[in-house]
Amino acid sequence: MSQRGSVLPPLVDRHILTSKTRNDVGVGAFAFLFSEIVQYSQTRVSNVSELERKLADVGFDVGVRMLELLVHREKAGKRENRILGILSFLHTNVWKNLFGKTADSLERGTSADDEYMISDHDLLVNRFISVPRDMGHLNCGAFAAGIVEGVLKSSGFPARVTAHSVTSEGLSRPKTTILIKFSPEVIERDERLGS
Amino acid sequence: MSSKAKGASPGGGDRINSELFTLTYGALVRHLLLDLESPEEVNKQLDKMGQNIGIRLVDDFLAKTNTGRCRNFREAAKTIAETGFRMFLGCSAKVTQIDDKECKMVLSENPLTDFVELPEKLQPLSYCSLLCGVIRGALEQISMKVECEISKDPLKGDERFELHMRLVEYVNEEYPFKDD
Amino acid sequence: MPRDSTTLTFVIVGEETPIYECEIKAGAKREETVNYLHEFVLHASLDNIDEAIWTTQSCYLKQVDRYYDLTVSAYATSSLVKFLLLHDSKNDDGIRNFFHDIHEYYIKIMLNPFHTPTTKIKSKPFDEKVKLLAQKYLL
Repeated sequence: MSQRGSVLPPLVDRHILTSKTRNDVGVGAFAFLFSEIVQYSQTRVSNVSELERKLADVGFDVGVRMLELLVHREKAGKRENRILGILSFLHTNVWKNLFGKTADSLERGTSADDEYMISDHDLLVNRFISVPRDMGHLNCGAFAAGIVEGVLKSSGFPARVTAHSVTSEGLSRPKTTILIKFSPEVIERDERLGS
Repeated sequence: MSSKAKGASPGGGDRINSELFTLTYGALVRHLLLDLESPEEVNKQLDKMGQNIGIRLVDDFLAKTNTGRCRNFREAAKTIAETGFRMFLGCSAKVTQIDDKECKMVLSENPLTDFVELPEKLQPLSYCSLLCGVIRGALEQISMKVECEISKDPLKGDERFELHMRLVEYVNEEYPFKDD
Repeated sequence: MPRDSTTLTFVIVGEETPIYECEIKAGAKREETVNYLHEFVLHASLDNIDEAIWTTQSCYLKQVDRYYDLTVSAYATSSLVKFLLLHDSKNDDGIRNFFHDIHEYYIKIMLNPFHTPTTKIKSKPFDEKVKLLAQKYLL
């Protein structure tokens, strides 16, 4: 039974969880919508980092919801309680579901042990936006960073999450790296659980 | 200072997870409410954003579909219903009433509202206003000035999702229309 | 046989504040003070729940607290929204199933863009589902 009908039943009666993911919205629809979100957000902020924060806030809402939806679909009754578990879930399940493929890499930061990086060579949201020169270092990947932040914060792994453009040998375009810096209590707890 | 959509025809054959779209739109509406506070202001903003999208979307649509320019309101309405919604939102719309100046179309499904329920205090919110703006903006680009509103809204308890379009005028005198 | 002297109370807590409460069954001798006692017991359990959450990958946390003859059983969703049930009889399977099914309904509620972790759940259909599930698994 389709979850969508011409009549909208109350939320609790909709077949949201049992229906399969529908990959039927045109990527153009998303691109235009996202582009307009960027345009609108620009009118509400006064600098690039505020703009990125606003994009991240929109992504945050998406992340919190995707977390519950995906976990329920893929392993109902279970929760991640370790850092590697939730990161792996992000890199594999969340990415695949939202962007059509798993992220390209998941790495531990080299400069600090509370940092991790998820990279994507062709992040969906960066594919459609060309950033004018005067916006310098704006990275619309901030939206994806917000999604990651939403997943992490709501599942009990608060972190500072930012998006960066990284040029890499062998890649014709810079990749987008989502940098995740966990709060100290998350690292402490994870170490305690590991021992 | 603006960001432009670029890249190989965004309106093309690629499809994405409708949930990403649904949730992103929902987040946008929620944040608009936080910024603007009044549902009426949000309606206006969504409509305006839709119009901006509609203006850019037409070229993309025409490039991808080989439908050729619609010559009149009827053709435009039918194209929107039969091809436009399918291409962008993955859902179909049916024209239920049409003449040279007005039409109604019903969407059998609407990815924008999949997870949505309007709280009591937000009843004045016209959640899908963006769609009306898109249609207006798009038709403006092909010389038709139209009005578009959501005439039946399931989020407000109606039994279907229905759009009502009305032709105000052809902007270009080259396309006269009959007065019946 | 349903007991008629104690209360079965279900609470959903999102980020420290209760967003939904339901007295599934009220006993014949119930007074206002009993109601406050239940609230106190349920909220005092939150610390125990926060600890229990990290020791397991299961959403179902089983019994997390006791107060005289009353037990608090708990469940934490992936976004750490907590379900608490205050009860007096042992019913592990029933409670686990109850929580699991409620979780599904909760997800549908929270996907709504207008719902946040602190939004009170006022949906009548949701309320009805809770009562139906309680009937099915707990009573």
